[in-house]
Amino acid sequence: MAEPIAVEGIVRESLPYAQYRVEIDGQRQVVAHTPGGPGRNYVRVLIGDRVRLELSPKDLGRGRIVAVIK
Amino acid sequence: MRAANALVAEVLAELATMVAPGVTTRDLDQAAEKLVRDGGAEPAFKGYRGYPSTLCASVNDQVVHGIPSNRALHEGDIISLDMGVRLNGFFGDSAVTVPVGKVSEEASTLLRVTQESLEKGIAQVKLGGRVSDIGHAIQQHVEAHGFSVVREFVGHGIGAALHEEPQIANYGEPGRGPRLAEGMTLAIEPMVNIGRPAVKVLGDGWTAVTKDGSLSAHFEHTVAVTKTGPLVLTRRGVPASAA
Repeated sequence: MAEPIAVEGIVRESLPYAQYRVEIDGQRQVVAHTPGGPGRNYVRVLIGDRVRLELSPKDLGRGRIVAVIK
Repeated sequence: MRAANALVAEVLAELATMVAPGVTTRDLDQAAEKLVRDGGAEPAFKGYRGYPSTLCASVNDQVVHGIPSNRALHEGDIISLDMGVRLNGFFGDSAVTVPVGKVSEEASTLLRVTQESLEKGIAQVKLGGRVSDIGHAIQQHVEAHGFSVVREFVGHGIGAALHEEPQIANYGEPGRGPRLAEGMTLAIEPMVNIGRPAVKVLGDGWTAVTKDGSLSAHFEHTVAVTKTGPLVLTRRGVPASAA
């Protein structure tokens, strides 16, 4: 069974509810959220940051930011 | 690892003989589950992230993760059979795409090229090689024939879990990613479209189809990295004993 790819992208736009529009492969754009919630550190993401995403297997247009690449 | 993967190879070979016009993908799924359980194993996909079935049965423009249904196969279809099992704590995973009756020349070329690309990828499995060498070899072969490689889904490490590190893309530059070391077990699985590479996931949350509606094929083997090169654990005839 194939696994949805984890990718790197660049944050292009900040959206409401801690979501961001992230460009991957220089062409596709996905909406991604940060892994917030109780007990989690707040992840500050700025426009222009390189981030690592996991794409949702259910909807390839959505993802979760798992790391900011410095 | 050997036993789990040998069982997958046997079951897929059995299912491939069942593929015929009029057979539904649910028939295949039920047969798959019975064969897996008779073999003393349990289906690996059923329940994985909520996936409902033993088998992924992806017909024509469906790329991967087609959920078995009442859909009956027609002469000229192509169908990808993708299945994993868990046996004695280890996972096996493999896929083949087979023609239903007589198919178009284009479809049979797609099947041949996709299978060849998997073999090219497997040939890159050697000590000291890099993970991305595999994807590079696959992409080179596929694109030389005018087809395209799906980017959104990737192969994966496999062992005590169905999906482990590293992810194995079917495209990219060579010489990147982790080095291949003895004892790693990798599920290598090119997904190849006749048309554009883009895919989308349908409303069921699983079934991936090509955006342009073109045919797509999928072959997968689980391969162990050994001192002497790749050992394809899901090739029929590889002994199930040892390790």
